[in-house]
Amino acid sequence: MLPLIAFWSGLGRAWRRKRMLALYWFFHTLCALGAALPLMAAAVPQLGRSRLGDELMRQFDLAWLAEIFAAAGEAAAPSAIFAALVAATTLLLGAVFLAGGAVPLLARGEEPYSPEEFWRNAGRNFWPYLRLSLYSLFCYAAAFAAAGLLRRGAEALWGEGLEAKPLVLAGYARLALLVVLFGLISTAMDFAKVRLALSGTRQSLRACLGSLWLVWRNPGVAFWLWACFAASGAALAYAYVELAARLETRGAAWLAPLVLWQQAYVLARIWLRFAAWGAAAELDPILRPLPAPEPAPAPAPAEAADYQI
Amino acid sequence: MRHWLLLLAVALPLRAQLARPVASYDIRASLNAASHTISGEQTLEWVNDSPDTAPTLQFHLYMNAFRNSRSTFFRESGGQLRGDRAAEDGWGWIRVDSMKLEDGTDLTPRLQCISPDDGNPDDCTVAEVALPAPVRPGASLRVSMRFTTKLPKVFARTGYRGDFHLAGQWFPKIGVWETKGFRYSEKSGWNCHQFHANSEFYANYGDYRVELTVPSRFVVGATGEMVKRSDDAKRGLSTYVFVQPSVTDFAWTAQPGFLRFERVFEAAKQTTQEEVAAAARLHGISLEEARLSDVKMIALIQPEHAEQTERHFRALSTALKYFGLWYGRYPFRTITVVDPPYGAGGAGGMEYPAFITAGTSYRLPEDVLMLEIVTVHEFGHQFWMQLVASNEFEESWLDEGFNTYSTGKIMDKVYGGTALPLAVFGKNTWSWLRLPKLTQASLDRAAHVGYPVRDPLATRAWEFYDGSSYSVSSYSRTGVALRTLEAVLGEDTMARVMRSYQQRWRFRHPHSRDFQQAAEEVSGRNLDWFFSQFVFGSRRLDYAVSEIRNRKLETPVGVFEKEGKSETVTAKEARRRDEELARKGEKPQYESWVKVERLGDAVVPQEIEVRFRDGHIERRSWDGTGRWAKFTFTRAAEIESAAIDPGRKYALDVNQANNSRKAAYNARLSTEWTLRVLFWAQNAMLWLTALV
Repeated sequence: MLPLIAFWSGLGRAWRRKRMLALYWFFHTLCALGAALPLMAAAVPQLGRSRLGDELMRQFDLAWLAEIFAAAGEAAAPSAIFAALVAATTLLLGAVFLAGGAVPLLARGEEPYSPEEFWRNAGRNFWPYLRLSLYSLFCYAAAFAAAGLLRRGAEALWGEGLEAKPLVLAGYARLALLVVLFGLISTAMDFAKVRLALSGTRQSLRACLGSLWLVWRNPGVAFWLWACFAASGAALAYAYVELAARLETRGAAWLAPLVLWQQAYVLARIWLRFAAWGAAAELDPILRPLPAPEPAPAPAPAEAADYQI
Repeated sequence: MRHWLLLLAVALPLRAQLARPVASYDIRASLNAASHTISGEQTLEWVNDSPDTAPTLQFHLYMNAFRNSRSTFFRESGGQLRGDRAAEDGWGWIRVDSMKLEDGTDLTPRLQCISPDDGNPDDCTVAEVALPAPVRPGASLRVSMRFTTKLPKVFARTGYRGDFHLAGQWFPKIGVWETKGFRYSEKSGWNCHQFHANSEFYANYGDYRVELTVPSRFVVGATGEMVKRSDDAKRGLSTYVFVQPSVTDFAWTAQPGFLRFERVFEAAKQTTQEEVAAAARLHGISLEEARLSDVKMIALIQPEHAEQTERHFRALSTALKYFGLWYGRYPFRTITVVDPPYGAGGAGGMEYPAFITAGTSYRLPEDVLMLEIVTVHEFGHQFWMQLVASNEFEESWLDEGFNTYSTGKIMDKVYGGTALPLAVFGKNTWSWLRLPKLTQASLDRAAHVGYPVRDPLATRAWEFYDGSSYSVSSYSRTGVALRTLEAVLGEDTMARVMRSYQQRWRFRHPHSRDFQQAAEEVSGRNLDWFFSQFVFGSRRLDYAVSEIRNRKLETPVGVFEKEGKSETVTAKEARRRDEELARKGEKPQYESWVKVERLGDAVVPQEIEVRFRDGHIERRSWDGTGRWAKFTFTRAAEIESAAIDPGRKYALDVNQANNSRKAAYNARLSTEWTLRVLFWAQNAMLWLTALV
C-alpha cells in the first residue's frame, strides 16, 4: 500500500509543478533538435522537393535511408557523431543541473514555485548531483556485470550444446534481472537526490550509499514503487502507439492532432520522471525517520544545590 | 553391378529429361561419430566428352581448406565467414589414401597438390595426377580411390558440432575439362579452382550412388532418394543407400536428434488449372509441359524447432510451385531440407543438389521471415546452380544473383515483407510498433545503394575489391540489375527470358554471354548497353532533375516592327495590355523549363514526365548521353513537378530521391518529417536522462 500511496502522491506533486514540466520539455526538445538537425539537414530538404517524400510518408522504404547515407558520404559521419556527442553531453549536464532545481521543490511539496528558488537550487545542487550521477554509473556497471555473469554461467553450462532454448531462457532471466536492477538503482538514486536536497549537505557518496542501503533494507517498497512507474510507463507507451497508429492512417489533416499527441506523450514521460522524485520525497521521511532530538538536560534539583553550597 | 542396376532403375524414368553423365560416383563411406572422420572408398567413372585428349586428372580436395591457417580459404576469409569464426581445435582435412586405375595401376605416388588460382604452395584444395596414358576423346576412365576425411568444427558451410554432422565437399571430386572455346577457355584444360572464401561450385553432371554407414541412432538425410537401409544390430550400425542421377555434387547429414518429417508436394493440389494455363500461355508451351510433378519433401528438424516444421514445408512448397511455374518443373523426386542445430549456423543456408540447409532460431516470430527467405533461396539454387550449372567461381552473379532475384520475387509475391526481430521476452514488437515490413526488393536496393559500385557483376569470386563487394555484387546488386532489366523489357518478356535461359541451358554450363544472348533473342532487342555497363562494366547510374523554372510571359517592351512600322511599347503600355487580357479572362502564359542531369557515368535512355498545375502531363524522351539537358515548355500553367524515370524502371539508380523535383518547396511535408525525427530524438533523450 505504501508504494501506491507514494506513487499517487508523487503524481500529485509533479502535477503541481507545471512550469518546471514545461522547462524540462523545452530543454529536452532543444537538445533533441541539436542531435536531429544534422540528419534533418541532410534528408529533409531533399524530401521537401522530391515526389518521393509523399510516397515515403505512406510506405517507408529502407533504401531511402541508404541513399541518404551514401549521398552524405563517409566524411559526414564524424560530424554527425560529433553533433550527437555534443548534444548528449549538453543533455546530461543540463539534466543534472535542472534536476538540482526541480528535486527540492518537489520534495518540499507545498512550497510555491519560485524561479529564483529553482535556479538557486539548481546551482547549489549541480556538483553534488553530478557526482551522484557518476557514482550511479558504477552501480549500473555493477548491474551489467551481474547480468554478464549470468550470461557467462549460461554459456558455460549450455553454450556447447545443440539447443538454444536454455540459453534463450537464461537470456530472458538476464534481461529481467537487468531491468529490475536498473529500476532499483534508479529508485535509489532518486532517494539520494531527495536526501541531498532535504539535508542541504553536499555529501554525494554518503547519500548514494545511504540510499542504496535504504533500498536494500526496503526491497519490497522500492520494487513496487518502481513497478508502479514501470507499469505506468508501459501503459503510456501502449496508449501512445495505439492512438498514433490510428491517427497516422487518417492522412495529412490529422497531422496536428498527431503532433499534439506526440508532445503530450513526451510531457507525460517527463511528468512520470518528476513523479518518481516526488514519490521518493514522500517515502523518504517514512523509510528514513529523522533521529529523535536529543533530550534536553534535566534541571538540577534545588536541594542538591543547597547541599553543595 | 547390382548397384548400378539400382541406379538405372531410379534414373530410367527420368533419363529423357536429365543430363548425360560425365562424372559418376559410386561411394561407400562410414562415419566415425566420435572422431568426426569419414572413411570412404569411391569409384569414379569419368567420360572425356571433349574432342581433346586429357593427359591428367584434377581433383577438388576441398576439406583441405580447413587444414591450417595458410590455406587459400583461410588467407582470404581470415578464418571467419558469415559471422562465424573457425575454432582453434576444429581443423579439417582430406587425405587420399590410394588411387588406382581399373587395371590396377597405382596413381597414388603421382598425386600432387597444385594451386592454379593463386600459386599458394600451402594450399592443397586441388590435386593433379598425371595419367600413364591420356584419355582419348569419347573414352571413359574408372578410377578407384580410398580416402579419409576429417570434418572441421562447423563454421564455414560444412563440419560437425556435437553429434551433428554436415558433410559437404567431403570426397575427392573431379574438375571440369573445358575444351578450347568452351565458355571463356582460351585453351583446352581443366577448370578446377581452389577452394575460396566465397565460392565452391562448378562440376560436371553425373549419377551418384552413395552407401553411408553410421551409428544406428543417427537420423540421416542426403542428396537423392534413399533406396535401401540395412541394420547391423550387433555393431550398432546402419547403412543407407542413396541414389541420384544427373547432379553435380552429393552432400549428407547425420544427427541422432533430428526429427524427420515427410510431406508430398502434390502438384495438382498446389497449383490451380488457371495458374498452369497462364504459365502455358505466357511461355507458349503445352499444358502438359507447364504442369508440375509431385515431389517428396523431407525435413530434418531440430526438436526445439518442431513447431516451425510446417513453415519449412510451406516455404518449400511455395518455392517448388513458383520456380516450377516460372522456370520449368523441378525434375527430381525428392528435396531434403536440413535445420542445423544451435551453434551450427555456419552449416545453414547452404545448397547442394536435392539437399539444402536452412536456418532458424528458437521461437522465431511468425512475422520474421528469415526461415522462409533462406529456405526459398536455398531451394532456388536447385535451378540456379544445379539445373543450370554455371561456374560459381568465375561468375557468381549467374548463381547467387539470379537466385536473389527469383527469391525476392517469390517472397514479395507470396509473403509480402518481413519484420525484423525486435523481441522483448520472446515477443516481437516490430509489427506492434507498426514499423514497416521490409520487402526483398527494398532490402536488395538498400544494399546496392549503400555500397559503392566497385566491380563488374561478372567478376571472379576471389578478385572482388573485398568481401562486401563480392556479396553486394553477387547477391543484391544482381537482384536489382535483373529487376531493372525486367522493368525495361516488361514483366512478361523477362519471365520468358528467364525460362528460355533455364530451359536452354538446363544440365549444361552457360556463361554470362549466353544469358545475354537468350535475353536478346527472346526480347528481340539489343541489350549490349545494359550488359556492357552493368554486367561486364561497373558504371554508376544516377540521374537527377536539377532545376525547374516558371516565368510568366508578359507583353514585351521596347521597339518592334509591326506591319512595316516601328512601334514602341512602354512598360506602362505593356502593363495595361496585360491587365486587359486578364480582364477578358485570358489565362497568362508561362515559359517553363526543366533541367535534368546525369550525375553518374552510366548512360541509359530516359523518359521525363512534367506535371503542370492544370493537371496536364507532358512526357519527353532523352537519350541520356549528355551531362545535362533542358526541356522548355510554353503553356497557360506553371510546372508543378518533374520526374526523370517516373516509373522507376531503373532500380539501379543510386539516388531516386533526386529523380523528381517540385517547383515549390513542400514545407508541410518537410515539417512533418522534421517533427517525426524530433519526436524520436526527444524520446531517445528521455531514455538517456532517466539514468541521471
